[in-house]
Amino acid sequence: MTSTATVPSPEEIHDRTRTVLATRIGDAFTDVPSDADLQKALGERYDSLTAMECISAVESEFGIEVDFVADDVRFWFSSVERMVRFTHERLEDTAALGLGS
Amino acid sequence: MTATVTTAPRAPQGEGVSGGEPDLWCTYAAVRTLAWLDRTDTVADPDGTAAYLSGRRNADGGYAWSRGMLSDAWATFYCTQALRDMGRPVPGTEATARWLERTWSGEAYAMLPGQAPDVWATHFSARTAVELCDGPVPDRARLLDWLSRLQCAEGGLSWSPEDARRGKADVRACYYGVMAWRAATDNGASGAPPWDVAALAAWLRDRQGAEGGFRFAPAAEVPCLWATYRAVGALAALGRAPRDPDRCQAWVMGLRGPSGAFVRWEGYDVEDVWASFCAVGTLKALGAPLAPVADSVTARISELACPGGGYTYREPRDAADALTTAAAVLSAGPAAPRPDGVRWLEGCQLPNEGGVMYMPGRGSEVRCTLWALAAGAFAGDRAARHRIADWLAELQNADGGFGYWEGRGSDMVSTAAAVETAALLGGPDGPRLDELGLDLAGVLSFVDSCRTAEGEPFAHGNVPGAEPGLRPALQAQRVRLLLGPGFAPPAEAREAVGALLARHRVRGGGYAGEGNRVPDLLSTYEAVLAADRAQLALDTGHVSAFVDRVRAADGTAWSPLAPGSGGPLADCLGSLLARRLASGPGALPALALS
Repeated sequence: MTSTATVPSPEEIHDRTRTVLATRIGDAFTDVPSDADLQKALGERYDSLTAMECISAVESEFGIEVDFVADDVRFWFSSVERMVRFTHERLEDTAALGLGS
Repeated sequence: MTATVTTAPRAPQGEGVSGGEPDLWCTYAAVRTLAWLDRTDTVADPDGTAAYLSGRRNADGGYAWSRGMLSDAWATFYCTQALRDMGRPVPGTEATARWLERTWSGEAYAMLPGQAPDVWATHFSARTAVELCDGPVPDRARLLDWLSRLQCAEGGLSWSPEDARRGKADVRACYYGVMAWRAATDNGASGAPPWDVAALAAWLRDRQGAEGGFRFAPAAEVPCLWATYRAVGALAALGRAPRDPDRCQAWVMGLRGPSGAFVRWEGYDVEDVWASFCAVGTLKALGAPLAPVADSVTARISELACPGGGYTYREPRDAADALTTAAAVLSAGPAAPRPDGVRWLEGCQLPNEGGVMYMPGRGSEVRCTLWALAAGAFAGDRAARHRIADWLAELQNADGGFGYWEGRGSDMVSTAAAVETAALLGGPDGPRLDELGLDLAGVLSFVDSCRTAEGEPFAHGNVPGAEPGLRPALQAQRVRLLLGPGFAPPAEAREAVGALLARHRVRGGGYAGEGNRVPDLLSTYEAVLAADRAQLALDTGHVSAFVDRVRAADGTAWSPLAPGSGGPLADCLGSLLARRLASGPGALPALALS
């Protein structure tokens, strides 16, 4: 579990997110800009199964939990930038509530 | 027209609903027909059509009927063969060959890994393995022994050795058996047919009527092009000819419609893709010239192309199907006036098979029959309901389960659909479940065979040995509840439903097919249905959270992760769930897709 004493900066979250996505998606992801819609940029390479794998990878990397119903996953996981914002806010909330380990 | 026909074999009247999408079988049939005519240069949108075919490929190397579904032998053959016919590369045949090996039972092929083998799957997979993946079948000697046991006492071949012992010969099974033998033996160069060929040829020849066309089996009501192509093709592969080839050719040529393309029966009023496929295939097997029909068939097929690639069975705007049409009727609500869609569905009961077809002219399919009955079709037509009941009783496999259509191996979703159909044919004024001629103990036996031996309690797969999932597990309990206390204790079924719902409940709302992370529409629909059947209290707030998430102004999604609307079927299930949440238990029809 990631420490909640200090929330990683958006820049750090960005870099770590790109790293875990590259592991899941492969070379096709390398040239995709962080503000690009992944489904448009990757087509069927970013189908619902891949999206689920990416969400799981981000959860694992940052020790957060995504609710597939309460969180609008199709919106928040449609681009790297949105994933970074979602993750940063979730880590800040967790830290503020003192829920982390 | 023969004197025995009681149902005019015409295209359905009324108004069906078309999804406007290409269909895999139609796409294969269109491409294959054009290849026989040496006209594949006329395939509409070849890149789009190739992308449609290759897009069905799953990560396991097999292909699925539609994206997101499990690989099966049927889709794998059609996709790879059509790509080959188009002169396109067939990707990763090594992985496809490995997937095919998973469907090998030890003596023949099954449609899915774990399922019992049947001759449909054995034909598709033997040909895919040999002709498309360039490999041998896993064990030729055992395959030939299995094929030999398909011969019935009367000489024809059946769907499986078990069906052969029950005397269920059919010209389609003859064709598939013969073509599987050919594929496994290098077109016969490596082994003689494993049957009494004289008896087989005689049985096939006896299916030809005085008019020249063939019937599926002695009990079939009318001759049709489907039966004729399979019979003549099987005879040709055995080096034989029909009893009266000239009359057969004349009968085929007499089924040309106004455009010069073909209809499947005398009196039918739509020139569709499978009629032309079967007609051209028959003419080719007879050694008749194809040039006289090539231009008209090619022109007609071009009218069946869908925007973006692929084909359907007739003009896309008119290419209604039973599931989409039933979905539209069910979405409209029980208080809506009896719509034209119901009339269209009733027209899908055509000669020779008493169930409802997915598309007119195709074989009757058990899920489509259930959806049509649930939509109100045949409500006051006792004769039609009797035909469905008779068809259903004939459909039951020797292992007690049901497959998608005649001769297909058993699976849970089809078995549950068959039992639900039987229940709908009964009702307050109709026969009880045990009066419909079904082997109910056999049904329970098949359902139990799908239970996972180890691991979590009450787990079931769609076929024996398959990975467990929520939907087959709940379908099993629905069957048990319908069979009643004489077969399965209701208290035990209720306990199982409760345990399964708790195991697959997703915290934020809805139910997941596997584990409890990502909820999906089909699993949530099945969960609510099973809870109602088991008379368990439903947390409507929990289900509402999921339904609200997947429903939007532009339609209903299959899951929170799926893009956009899932189309008319998803819209229907979403509407029915919302209606159930507003009105209480008992409002949800027993619909299932997978």
